[in-house]
Amino acid sequence: MEIKKTAIAGTLESSDIQLTISAATNGISIDLQSDVKKVFGDQIEGVIKQTLSDMGIAAAKVKAVDKGALDCVIKARTIAAVQRATETTEQPAWEVL
Amino acid sequence: MAQIDHTLGIYNDQHQLVATGSVAGNVLKYVGVCNKESAQGSHFNTIISALMNLLAEREIFHVFVFTKNKYSASFQHVGFKELAHTDLGAVLETGDTDVADYVARIPQAVDQAQQRVAGIVMNANPFTLGHRYLVEQAAKENDRVYVFVVQDNVSLFTTDERRQLVQQGTRDLSNVTVVSGGQYMVSYVTFPAYFLPTPNEAIRYQTTIDARIFKNQIAPRLNIQTRYLGSEPFSRTTGIYNQVLRKELPPEIMVKVIDRKRVGQQVITATQVRQAIAADKLETVQSFLPATTLTFIQQHKRTLQSRIQEGMTINGN
Amino acid sequence: MAESEERLRRTMMFVPGNNPAMVKDAGIYGADSIMFDLEDAVSLPEKDAARVLVYEALQSQDYGEAELVVRVNGQDTPFYDNDVKAMVKAGIDVIRLPKAESAAMVEKLDQDVAAAEKEFGREAGSIHIMAAIESAKGVLQAPAIAAASDRMIGVALSAEDYTTDMKTHRYPDGQELLFARNMVLHAARAAGIAAFDTVFTNMDDTEGFYRETAYIHQLGFDGKSLVNPRQIAMVNKVYEPTEAEISNAKNVINAIQEAKLKGSGVISMNGQMVDRPVVLRAQRVMKLAKASNLVDEEGNYIEK
Repeated sequence: MEIKKTAIAGTLESSDIQLTISAATNGISIDLQSDVKKVFGDQIEGVIKQTLSDMGIAAAKVKAVDKGALDCVIKARTIAAVQRATETTEQPAWEVL
Repeated sequence: MAQIDHTLGIYNDQHQLVATGSVAGNVLKYVGVCNKESAQGSHFNTIISALMNLLAEREIFHVFVFTKNKYSASFQHVGFKELAHTDLGAVLETGDTDVADYVARIPQAVDQAQQRVAGIVMNANPFTLGHRYLVEQAAKENDRVYVFVVQDNVSLFTTDERRQLVQQGTRDLSNVTVVSGGQYMVSYVTFPAYFLPTPNEAIRYQTTIDARIFKNQIAPRLNIQTRYLGSEPFSRTTGIYNQVLRKELPPEIMVKVIDRKRVGQQVITATQVRQAIAADKLETVQSFLPATTLTFIQQHKRTLQSRIQEGMTINGN
Repeated sequence: MAESEERLRRTMMFVPGNNPAMVKDAGIYGADSIMFDLEDAVSLPEKDAARVLVYEALQSQDYGEAELVVRVNGQDTPFYDNDVKAMVKAGIDVIRLPKAESAAMVEKLDQDVAAAEKEFGREAGSIHIMAAIESAKGVLQAPAIAAASDRMIGVALSAEDYTTDMKTHRYPDGQELLFARNMVLHAARAAGIAAFDTVFTNMDDTEGFYRETAYIHQLGFDGKSLVNPRQIAMVNKVYEPTEAEISNAKNVINAIQEAKLKGSGVISMNGQMVDRPVVLRAQRVMKLAKASNLVDEEGNYIEK
């Protein structure tokens, strides 16, 4: 799938993560900000990358501001942001959920 | 910039206002939070993300905020990055793009690190022989010259028209690169006083911010060592801007002020060109203009005049 | 009626579906049912995000013994179809339909759930449903709504929309809800399903909350919808059986066991025959007593 426009999902509230996804020419780049980046940074980026890969996104620029989100929240916000960015919100990606 | 597009409020269970914030264009404004009876920062995070989601619905994803220095850290904690600050306050940005992306899109020579590089920022409303003279001086003295054309579309000549006229008017100068100033140089976001009547103190603050963004974010990434300015005998705002640039940029960035080009006794200004268009007396400013700009004005005189009739101001910048 | 054995449904806690902190912590308060809300608690631009968030939470979070309910968006919205599909795929216990006004609406939900069960390989009939009554029309149709599907486990009264529809608002004495409460309750009992009372939103009025809860307990409601976890202990307190009720119930249970041991079909206690309603009430009292930690494993009253 291709990113058609920039999209944002999630919030800056406790236990959430705010993701901004925009188009990129090649590869996935993630700019992560988190209070627990030292310990959990790789894991957070791993969940985002895996979810993007599951959704068939090969190229995207991601800005993530983490406020202590669980993996399931990171995955949910990534899916929501990608669906908005690919304008597929009306057709949920059932196979990825 | 004084106007507000939208204001949000967050109320607690007792119907008391605990947080508020507003947006104007892509700038967050008037953020206020009550931290009584709540976890530190939780209302702040709530209002900022609510404002960002509101902007996202309008497809605005690149967001700026001006704030007091003591709140800069709070904004950085929710993903903002500081562009510059003065004693009076800081400007920060966040979103799907930033100043590093902006500079990355500007073409550079492979050996630019070894080159003498200069920068000029101009609105060029429209591009005159005065602008041309300034660019020529810089082109003679440097390996490469960047001309940053003001991006915001609030002048008589549109952004595209201004940029094209600068491009056409400097085409013969092979070491000149014309680029958009983006949201970082004399932009409506960081330097609204350039476009709107403003008291001196605010002009000084905004121009200091503009100078520091150029000095710390733009120039080092492009190896710009010299900033060229035209001397400013008329405009109060531009006069203060030049003073501040001369105070802020050195020693890292040299500032060269080039005396305005004259035709006979007359100093060339774009303001006079706009006034001549309004008065339908193009012949009085013909000698101020390169052929490319003159031709454009002749071909689009009606359009330009109707923009003035519809209220476009011609006496600002 | 979807169930053979009755479960306790004293408390159904509302959890805003797009709030990760609340979705994450929903299991720690001991609510009998947790209702994730995709409807009124979620703003229009966040409907998609809330649906995905609740879905992913259901896949990974442990909510213990609580019954998991999701309030989907109404059938007149563009979100309803995907809400139902996602929640069936997630294997939710119960889908709650808002603004139910007719048996046909429940039948439609039943069919949509059945189709989604098939699409996502869920066991047919495994997903239960319930309906919220929120209008005069809904109240008058309550008996048909409650009996409209084998998947139905309950009906709930939602008073905010209902009182608006009735051109009134809520009063402390609840007279304005008298008819609706009794209709919903009778519809539930006639269909053999649970009845949930409406929310009480003024967190500062503890006395009013206890008064209302005691009242709906007296009427016979299974429990109450709640907006704040602090209300859970308060409802449970009201539903706690007394020591005398427990001791009486224990005697009934003992009499049943005795009759079983004797191989007798007739249960008698103190020389009196014990009939079915008495047995059912005794079983319910013991269940409540256990849930309230008032009895030990053997059913003996614990002195506090």
